[in-house]
Amino acid sequence: MNKATPIALFLVVLLAAGGSFVWFVEQPSSTSNYSATYNSTKEIVLYANAIGWNYNSSNPNPTLYEKTHVLLEFKVIEQDNLPHTLTVNPGTNESTSNDVFNVNIPAVTGTIVWLNWSFANPGTYTYWCEVHPTTMVGRLVINASSSNGTNASAVPTMQPQSPSLVSYSNSIYQPVSSRDANDEVW
Amino acid sequence: MTLGLTFELAVFGSFIALLIVMGFLLYYFAVDYKRNLLGEVSSALPKKESNTVLSRMKRELSFSAFMMDDSKSIGIRYLITSLVLFFIAGLAGIGMRISLWFPVPSFLTPVQYNILLTAHGTLMLYGWATGSILGMAYYLLPSSVKLKNDSFGVVSSIMYWMFLVGSLFIIFSKSTATWYFYYPLVDQLTAIGGGQYSFATLIGVMLILIATTVSSVIFLRMIFFDRDPSIRLSNMSLFAWSVVSTAFLIIASAPVSIIANGFLIYDNINPIFFQAGNGSALGYAIMFWYWGHPLVYVAVIPAFGLIYEMLPRFTGTKIYSYKSGVLSLLMLMILSGTVWGHHLFNSGLGTVWDLIFSTTSFIVAVPSAISVFNWIATMWVGRVKLTVPMMFIINGIIDFIIGGVSGVMLADVGANQLIHGTYAVTSHFHFIFLGLTTGVAFAAIYVLFPTLSGGRNYNVPMAKVHFYLSTIGTIVMSGFWLVGGFAGMPRRVAGYFGIFQTYQDAAAVGGVILGIGFLIFLINFLYSAYKPVETNTSNILEEEVTS
Ligand code: HEM
Ligand code: HEM
Ligand SMILES: [Cu+2]
Repeated sequence: MNKATPIALFLVVLLAAGGSFVWFVEQPSSTSNYSATYNSTKEIVLYANAIGWNYNSSNPNPTLYEKTHVLLEFKVIEQDNLPHTLTVNPGTNESTSNDVFNVNIPAVTGTIVWLNWSFANPGTYTYWCEVHPTTMVGRLVINASSSNGTNASAVPTMQPQSPSLVSYSNSIYQPVSSRDANDEVW
Repeated sequence: MTLGLTFELAVFGSFIALLIVMGFLLYYFAVDYKRNLLGEVSSALPKKESNTVLSRMKRELSFSAFMMDDSKSIGIRYLITSLVLFFIAGLAGIGMRISLWFPVPSFLTPVQYNILLTAHGTLMLYGWATGSILGMAYYLLPSSVKLKNDSFGVVSSIMYWMFLVGSLFIIFSKSTATWYFYYPLVDQLTAIGGGQYSFATLIGVMLILIATTVSSVIFLRMIFFDRDPSIRLSNMSLFAWSVVSTAFLIIASAPVSIIANGFLIYDNINPIFFQAGNGSALGYAIMFWYWGHPLVYVAVIPAFGLIYEMLPRFTGTKIYSYKSGVLSLLMLMILSGTVWGHHLFNSGLGTVWDLIFSTTSFIVAVPSAISVFNWIATMWVGRVKLTVPMMFIINGIIDFIIGGVSGVMLADVGANQLIHGTYAVTSHFHFIFLGLTTGVAFAAIYVLFPTLSGGRNYNVPMAKVHFYLSTIGTIVMSGFWLVGGFAGMPRRVAGYFGIFQTYQDAAAVGGVILGIGFLIFLINFLYSAYKPVETNTSNILEEEVTS
């Protein structure tokens, strides 16, 4: 046996095991994986339709004004049997490299995808669909929430321990008219 | 999914692809050069014949195996790789164990825990269990069937590289979707979903499965068409029979998983196959477990074969009953293809199906028991020589009995409702994986050590310490998991209720003991490999083929 083989093998094992461990536990530093604490909730309904997130109104991609530390419950309803995503990233340009979250909407009309998220930092964000980046894109403006200020202790604060839930539910058998009231959106 | 396919990315990608292609070209030049360097034995012969000659020789551990493509070299490649993967996955396991010391997630956040959990499960099963079995089969088959024609070098070599790339994909993907690609988590490519690159694990596992399936075909070809005429099926070694059984099992079930994973990857781009929306989310689970259960038997049947080979040499007798050994291996092959539904008792297959799968799971205990009794009878009539490999074997048999009995308990539909998703399941398979699969693999490594190291003996006291630490560790860790599991301790969580702390802490101690045991194996390997040559290179698992 070659003199160097055993020690090389030994070092390979140590380096591979140690290196992989470090790689596994190293967290991506840019984005936090957790949604922030919140003390109230707000539902936002979006329609996954290639024409726009609010497709049958004069303003198909409205700018949304929300607050930090509010659990935003995005309810995304698939409309046109086409694949879509709901992607949110900071800034006013579409970008996937530092997205806050990114979720697939199954291409089956009537499928509802819930995504719950609360923002820690105020700022302007972009919400868009990666499949239809020109027609399905809007701004999400997050303002600092006053209740998170000095008297925060007065409000019971929920502490989500784990990442917020993404749940799918299927409403395909529901009559369309009962859930298609577009005015419930904004 | 992130499909940011920009122009720059395309240029960059093509450049990388070009480098890889050129690297491979260089690699094959080097392979050819290496073959010519082997001189007398091989360079005068055409490649096929030189490979046959090489695969019949005794071979030392060496990195030049990566440059040669006869069966023995391929076997050495797999053995080295799977051992490295074992230590990667083992460290991940110990990390999880230590982090579970406190009920509240301490040293690992839930996301980090899930990354380690997925990497540990996937690498242990696809990298270590499957890889070491491929390695043993490639390494031992040429001598146990006196291979007369080693003709699949290039294919085997390509399959090995696919295996390696697949493992790298698994490591780099940092998926959190667990080893059975929990649906729909696996398709949510976010940090809070299955991990941003969780599709890469799917690709990696597909590569490994393709490598495994093709290698299985090669094994069958070696056994049925290329064995020496002097070896008849009725006196072929039981290890070769266990490879037959494993290979058929793989060929019959792995393709289903390859296809299902392909569908899942497509679902990333356009979710149409396994969707809650069209009611087929369960479809993926079924397609996965159709392969998933055979996979766990793939990890034990060759270990059975190795026990059948080694046991008679350490008891000084023939195996008690050769025929019932073959029968048991073939029955395992057939029956273990029929029990996969026992992983889905709580998923709504329906009571009738549940009962059918419960029954088949009870029946699969029969061939396992045939083998166990065969071994016990062999030890009974012979005189047991308590060498280190033999100690691993005996412990493997005991652990298999414990794990098997808890498996039969899990297969009871009623009991399963209570203990499904608890550490009782984790305990069930760690007893078998650690005691039998891993223990017997290390027994075989100890047996092969003089050959692999070119005539050195391993240090026996250190090997005994390795044995005692790893068995005590297994029993402490899995034992407390079993008790905790029956008390309702949930598995796959980064934190837990305080009432379970006793079990978790005891198991953490067990895990650390295990880790020290395997570290001692490494040190022993390094220490013994530098001892002076003191013994001949023969071992009981392979005979040099001279005909
Ligand atoms: C005597 C035969 C066996 C029976 C009756 C049996 C039964 C079961 C049952 C019913 C489960 C499902 C538990 C649950 O999730 O609720 C299970 C899980 C499992 N068994 Fe076995 N088993 C047997 C042998 C084996 C062997 C030999 C292995 C290989 C090491 C093995 C590995 C596993 C694994 C890895 C799981 C867990 C998969 C997971 O959920 O991650 N089993 N077994
Ligand atoms: C080195 C010793 C080992 C240690 C310390 C260890 C530890 C662990 C731990 C802590 C878990 C996670 C339990 C949970 O949270 O549910 C786990 C899961 C698992 N282990 Fe091991 N393990 C070891 C060896 C092995 C071996 C040798 C195999 C297989 C060949 C194996 C296969 C698995 C599998 C399949 C899972 C389930 C992963 C999942 O739930 O997705 N482990 N192990
Ligand atoms: Cu099973």
